[in-house]
Amino acid sequence: MSRAASTNEPTTDTPPEDIAKSSKAVGEPLVTVENLTKRFPIKKGIIFQREVAAVHAVEDVSFAIYPGETLGLVGESGCGKSTTARVLLKLIEPTSGKITFEGEDITGLNKRQMRPMRRQAQMMFQDPYASLNPRQTIGQIIGAPFRIHKLSGDTKQKVQELMERVGLNPEHYNRYAHEFSGGQRQRIGVARALALRPKLIVCDEPVSALDVSIQAQVLNLFEDLQEEFGLTYLFISHDLGVVRHISDRIAVMYLGHIVEVATADELYNNPKHPYTAALLSAVPKGKVGTQVTTRTVLTGDVPSPVNPPSGCPFHPRCPKARQVAGGDGVPENCRVELPPLGEVVENHHAACWYPLEESEELAKAAHA
Amino acid sequence: MTQIGEPILEVKDLKVHFPTPDGMVKAVDGLTFTVHRGETFGIVGESGSGKSVTCLTALGLIKRESAQISGEVLFEGHDLLKLSNEDLRPIRGKALSMIFQDPFACLHPFYRVGDQIVEAIQCHDSCDKKEARNRTVELLSAVGIPQPDDRFRDYPHQFSGGMRQRAMIAMALAHNPSLLIADEPTTALDVTVQAQILELIDHIKQEFNIGVILITHDLGVVADVAQSVMVMYAGRAVEYGSRDEVFSGPLHPYTWGLLESIPNIDRKGARLVPIEGAPPSLIRVPTGCSFNPRCPHRFDPCDKDRPELLDRGGGHPEACHLRVEDKKRLWNEREAGRVEEVAS
Ligand SMILES: Nc1ncnc2c1ncn2[C@@H]1O[C@H](COP(=O)(O)OP(=O)(O)OP(=O)(O)O)[C@@H](O)[C@H]1O
Ligand SMILES: Nc1ncnc2c1ncn2[C@@H]1O[C@H](COP(=O)(O)OP(=O)(O)OP(=O)(O)O)[C@@H](O)[C@H]1O
Ligand code: SF4
Ligand code: SF4
Ligand SMILES: [Mg+2]
Ligand SMILES: [Mg+2]
Repeated sequence: MSRAASTNEPTTDTPPEDIAKSSKAVGEPLVTVENLTKRFPIKKGIIFQREVAAVHAVEDVSFAIYPGETLGLVGESGCGKSTTARVLLKLIEPTSGKITFEGEDITGLNKRQMRPMRRQAQMMFQDPYASLNPRQTIGQIIGAPFRIHKLSGDTKQKVQELMERVGLNPEHYNRYAHEFSGGQRQRIGVARALALRPKLIVCDEPVSALDVSIQAQVLNLFEDLQEEFGLTYLFISHDLGVVRHISDRIAVMYLGHIVEVATADELYNNPKHPYTAALLSAVPKGKVGTQVTTRTVLTGDVPSPVNPPSGCPFHPRCPKARQVAGGDGVPENCRVELPPLGEVVENHHAACWYPLEESEELAKAAHA
Repeated sequence: MTQIGEPILEVKDLKVHFPTPDGMVKAVDGLTFTVHRGETFGIVGESGSGKSVTCLTALGLIKRESAQISGEVLFEGHDLLKLSNEDLRPIRGKALSMIFQDPFACLHPFYRVGDQIVEAIQCHDSCDKKEARNRTVELLSAVGIPQPDDRFRDYPHQFSGGMRQRAMIAMALAHNPSLLIADEPTTALDVTVQAQILELIDHIKQEFNIGVILITHDLGVVADVAQSVMVMYAGRAVEYGSRDEVFSGPLHPYTWGLLESIPNIDRKGARLVPIEGAPPSLIRVPTGCSFNPRCPHRFDPCDKDRPELLDRGGGHPEACHLRVEDKKRLWNEREAGRVEEVAS
């Protein structure tokens, strides 16, 4: 394994609740994760299985989310966004690290002890088709949380109120999920997630499977519900436009690490980490006159999380490191030492030895 | 600057109707457009609007028994809809090439990538194995696969998503096609890799002076790389023009809706303006303008008369009954409204 023991020592002196605060950071955070790491062992052997390697899915991640705030989590496929969400909700156990919810340490709680917290935190998934049972009626799907948590009262009335709230016709109570369009199914998912009046909703790519016109309807719904119920969101997406639209604050992930955190405006106007800058430059701007050839600053693909690079995880592709070293070299510290997530300017954290100056341009990569 | 050359594909009044137990699915219902050499022609529209069926029909990949097809698809002097399968095969393999969203649609998982491209070359060109192999290595290097000599022997699963897409493009280029059809070529890819593939397609288009049809639901991609744009809704074109015309002065309420629904990366914008409702069933397409149940500007004739795709004086063809002055005013008002909202 190439990486030095980086996971056990904190990468930053900043406690999670103080990393890149937004204006909504008042009072105590609703949820925090501290030095969270998740590795999936890769085993070999049929009878005697031994661990031969591990997928470094999440590496030493720390952040906090304040009540009523939306934290966006962006990054390319496989960088560990979904794993972070699943560990945070304890749907899977972390390898190390600490999770708190409303100030309480929930890291060591077992399934039964987690019950009360489950009501407070709900998850919404990407695929409105796969996450709903086609043999159940809408009433059964949205009413399920009431039954699971054995709540008394008129379930049908409550469900119909929820349906109305998310823009579904309450008369469709007895219809089956397959009779609804993608956008409507996602509304069903929202209604189900809202049923128990949770404080936190973790949305994992909730609009990625939808057409743009429908996506806009669902994003507006999320905003309205946040205002009405004071919801807190962890909003995961690979779409930088969507994340910017919905988030107060954004964390950028690369190969299991959070490499940058700032408020949405600050991150987009003044990216400090070279990876964030490259990601932003790659997004089609939809503006007449922008040329595709001016925005490829990265070559190659994301390296494997089984054998992550030494030092800074971004160093094999980093244009800034090459600018600093000159030619095709990479500075020594980028190669051997993991940069901590430190405050670069006020309320703006990045994990880079050579953070970008304001409006510094990255060199375009040579054509592969 | 890209030079736009002579027309290579002319589609005239194309209709593709699928009989199904529930009724006739009018997937494509009267489509006319032209693609030129050196041009990237973008087709945008929501899921189910008929983008893929249009291109699959042009390639002869829709089984004629399964659909009622009419109209003309003129390519290098032939009407592809009138050719027999035998006559179509050489054209399909050599002159027209297609790449898909899912590379496994082209690459067989059990055979080495290199061998598959060699085979593709040999099935149309009579050249020996060694020649075909050399050409394959050349192609793999042209699409930016590092160490093509070594990677030649890899299986598709040993390639990353971006590399599989590159390999598929290499295969599509095997016979120097004059038209490359790319159906959502980057939808499954990450944005940094998407930028690389779009650049590659652009580079190939200029290098070989070919035409490219780029199908996508991403307006941002089209605005960045296409020279012409056709916006489709429910099997028909609602607006058709140069990229600048369509993006700077869109003339159709559906195009407005699409443009306003996209969260803009350049500003944390005001509230999104979604298009109300959902796309129609293609079995029961609304009468008149098929967009009328969702259109905020609907007026008298809209649910009765179907608007044809015409230049009504706005400079490019569109299919909406509104008068051009009204369209210009409405679009300016909608834009002004958005700017105001951002400012406040
Ligand atoms: N149960 C598992 N066993 C082994 N590896 C896993 C498991 N779940 C996830 N991984 C791996 O962990 C890494 C992070 O995966 P994760 O699903 O969190 O990524 P993601 O950022 O959500 O990606 P995407 O955008 O594609 O959804 C990936 O390399 C993935 O293959
Ligand atoms: N063989 C078939 N039989 C019946 N209907 C079909 C057939 N092939 C396609 N269709 C229908 O034709 C319509 C147009 O499909 P098409 O695949 O062209 O859409 P698209 O615009 O490419 O959408 P997407 O963005 O989802 O790929 C759809 O409603 C589809 O269900
Ligand atoms: S630490 Fe070095 S390699 Fe990593 S992002 Fe910064 S400059 Fe690039
Ligand atoms: S024809 Fe009528 S319904 Fe159709 S887009 Fe124009 S105004 Fe709207
Ligand atoms: Mg995921
Ligand atoms: Mg399609």
